[in-house]
Amino acid sequence: MRTQQPAKRQIFEPTKLVDPPKGPIGPYRVPRSHVFRDHHWFGFSQIMLVVVILFLFMPLFVVITYSFNASRGMRWTGFSLQWYHQLFTGSRELWRAFGNSFIIALSSAFVATVIGSLAAVGIRWYRFKSRAFIQTLSFLPMILPEVIIGISMLIFFSAIQFPLGMVTIFIAHTTFNLPFVFLLVSARLDEFDFSVIEAARDLGATERQTLIKVIVPSITPGVLSGFLMAITMSLEDFVITFFVSGPGSTTLPLYVYSMIRYGVSPVINALSMVLILSIMLIALLFRRFLKTIAASS
Amino acid sequence: MSQTWISKEVIMKQHTFSLRRLNLSILFMLIATILILIGCSRDESTSQKTGGTLYLYNWTYYTPESVIEKFEQEFNAKVVLDYFASNEDMFAKLKAGGSGYDIVFPSQDYTSIMMKEKMLLPIDRERIPNLRYISPLVLEKATYDPTMAWSVPYFMGAAGIAVNTVRVHDYPRDWSIFADTRLAGRMSMLDDMREVMGDALVHLGYSVNSTDRAELEEATRLINQRWKPNLVKFDAEGFAKSFASGEFWVVQGYAEAVFEELDPSRWHEVDFILSPEGGPMYLDSMVIPKGAKNVELAHEFINFIHRPEIYAEFLDRFHFPASVHTEAEAFMTVTPFYQGEDLAPFELKHDIGADLELYNTLWQSIRYVN
Amino acid sequence: MKSHEQERRNRRLGVTYSAPMGLWLVLFFLIPLAIIILYSFLRKGLYGGVEPHWSLAAYEQMFNPNFLRVLFRTLWISVVATAITIILALPCGYAIARSRNQVFWLALVIIPFWTNSLIRIYAWIAILSNEGFVNEALRSVGIIRDSLQLMYHQGTVITVLIYMYIPFAILPLFTTIDKFDFQLLEAARDIGATKAQSIFKVLIPNIRSGVVTAVIFTFIPIFGAYTVPLLVGGKDSYMVGNIIVDQVTKTRNWPLASAFSLLITLVSTVGVVWMLVSSAGERARLKTSGNGRGTAEVNS
Repeated sequence: MRTQQPAKRQIFEPTKLVDPPKGPIGPYRVPRSHVFRDHHWFGFSQIMLVVVILFLFMPLFVVITYSFNASRGMRWTGFSLQWYHQLFTGSRELWRAFGNSFIIALSSAFVATVIGSLAAVGIRWYRFKSRAFIQTLSFLPMILPEVIIGISMLIFFSAIQFPLGMVTIFIAHTTFNLPFVFLLVSARLDEFDFSVIEAARDLGATERQTLIKVIVPSITPGVLSGFLMAITMSLEDFVITFFVSGPGSTTLPLYVYSMIRYGVSPVINALSMVLILSIMLIALLFRRFLKTIAASS
Repeated sequence: MSQTWISKEVIMKQHTFSLRRLNLSILFMLIATILILIGCSRDESTSQKTGGTLYLYNWTYYTPESVIEKFEQEFNAKVVLDYFASNEDMFAKLKAGGSGYDIVFPSQDYTSIMMKEKMLLPIDRERIPNLRYISPLVLEKATYDPTMAWSVPYFMGAAGIAVNTVRVHDYPRDWSIFADTRLAGRMSMLDDMREVMGDALVHLGYSVNSTDRAELEEATRLINQRWKPNLVKFDAEGFAKSFASGEFWVVQGYAEAVFEELDPSRWHEVDFILSPEGGPMYLDSMVIPKGAKNVELAHEFINFIHRPEIYAEFLDRFHFPASVHTEAEAFMTVTPFYQGEDLAPFELKHDIGADLELYNTLWQSIRYVN
Repeated sequence: MKSHEQERRNRRLGVTYSAPMGLWLVLFFLIPLAIIILYSFLRKGLYGGVEPHWSLAAYEQMFNPNFLRVLFRTLWISVVATAITIILALPCGYAIARSRNQVFWLALVIIPFWTNSLIRIYAWIAILSNEGFVNEALRSVGIIRDSLQLMYHQGTVITVLIYMYIPFAILPLFTTIDKFDFQLLEAARDIGATKAQSIFKVLIPNIRSGVVTAVIFTFIPIFGAYTVPLLVGGKDSYMVGNIIVDQVTKTRNWPLASAFSLLITLVSTVGVVWMLVSSAGERARLKTSGNGRGTAEVNS
């Protein structure tokens, strides 16, 4: 293994591929900027970061606090686990909605990531006739109001007599996830030099080998962030899902929204707490893996 | 500018290392997804009960869990519920092609619209003997379908005014409370055009269903000049929460929503008023839309829910008066938040067809402008 | 340089890689969009939907002073919210890019998103309302006697919108700042620039594409926001997103909703295309000025 990791991502210059100079610390040397000399502006931005993170978490603390409230409503009347109890024993509809959300998020994010990443590679690196068209097309779903995307998909599905349900929600979610995946992977690709591909080809790699061993690993951080973003947006979506959901395909945001008029039960708060804990657990388990991804970028 | 030299081999090794991890995690996620899908589909297949599956499209919580469970047990069926929070949402979905529901619960104006648009299947009254419990007074008001050919009444009620008596004293018990400047910044009305304009119309002595331009303009002026300056917002979603938290002291809204947010020990603090002037009233019915898969089970459900003891469970849950059912009152165990008699001066909001445009234009000047 | 065969192969590959997305978007996005455009020129059906008659009624209705008022109000709210969001997100992106635990900070930024957004909006009501945390705290310390009206007006909408979309701004900014060569800042300091000068004249111009992306990801959703103004706004906070939903559901005027959407789409497309062109130009400038990314622009 390497003895130390460079603090920054290094610029890969294939035209300068020569035998690395040997030195006391091994085959590479550490750049000067590894030593942070100026902490001034660094300190201010760190403070801002902490403030913003607190700002982001403040409502979360409120949600968690109220999940332990002994009564509904905003007055704190004492500590109680009744909502957790109700969550795990008496919330059939809630779990069904959550399950639907989860399935759709995973599947649509997966498909969107695969399709979007491939397209990002194709468009950024190769020239072909319909390139500009597809590129512009990929941005459009982001700039339409969600309502219109939702309604137009609803009308489209009814015009082709396609029944509304989980599949239509899946299609809609994949459609609005695509631009984000595409954008994130493209941004990652921007810095990656195409001549690496040529170098690989020169060294005799087949197209498949090039794809698997060179392209995929290098765009992995972009792909991963695209995938995570897609899951997040899919879990969150309300407006589009509302228009294309059918019998039995209520998702969590739909369920919560329909409860608004009747007052959101703290059971939802309890569910949020459970979700946050699970995600943190998963992030912790995959921590080393995530670090490797970040390091290899 | 300094650069670092990294050997090709190190890069490749690094990438394959992380690539293996990537492969593993993708594999893991795929397996997880497949397992979940299998699990869910198994859940669906075990629900192939002999009775079948009933798809309901209803207002949130409008049928209590206990009633649903009893039905599922007795008929060996599964009930799948989807919720909506407003007639408009429900209708927009059904109109644009959403189908597959066995029973939908529209309000009166939308029931008549759905009838006109031929979106419904007829009710077979032979299969619902419990229809005999439906109050004839209600059927009189349901002028769009007095013989229950297409719809069966479910519940009739109205939005009223909830007043926080701890904070508010000496107030008029009718719609003019919204003109009280002492309460400015502490009140809200529903974000519902027919409701708000209907209130203004009856306050001025006109009908809730008026289509007379002069009357409507007078009502709009009343709202804009006397009521709106005292209101914080038009809220059809969060009014109950805001009332319960003390944010608003007077809200126009639904009794069951307001009381649900409050602990029963505090219910005595609330004065829920149905103005003697009258106002807009709603009648929610059960209809069977075209495209329903299980028409027979739908009829069973309608019959089931109108059994007096079952219907009383529904009334108990929301503290509703037995406005639609003649027998259920005897089986109730709680006091309703308001009485059926209080609804006497209220009018059903009927569908006014193309004249809705007039309301739309006037409502813009109320809702869009500060 | 490249042989014909290589070029043809490149083209073929490009098409193969991008065909799935292209086809998907044409089928599930373009075609529905075309339907909407068509609808805006048809007559409104009585109970929703459209009737097969041509009509420009929707466009006539659109230019009515009430709608224009709402449009400008939405623009104002969006611009203010986006500006503040970007200003807050810049130092955050910078701090994360410079930190050693990038993944940790990124995770912290993303985690709140995994809670349902409606719940978080409701939490804000608990924080900002008259009996909420902020007012209680201020009252108990004695700074104020009567509650501050923090809820149900434009300020609330702006605050909550900023809250909802800061992560959308932080992520692209982080990505771009991460690629930035910090030695340039040191070089600038070496030749005598002040802290502020080096930030504004060296850092900012070189992360322009990141800023552009952040603005796109922030302004557009904020402009079309619906649930936030609905839940935490007051009578002065009705926005364009609310209009469109209401036109579809409450007034059942689909052609008008379609006409509105078309207008907004055109305006957004023009804006996005302009931004893309200018950032593509910047990319081209970077590529041709030296090998790869050896040098970057320094605005003097």
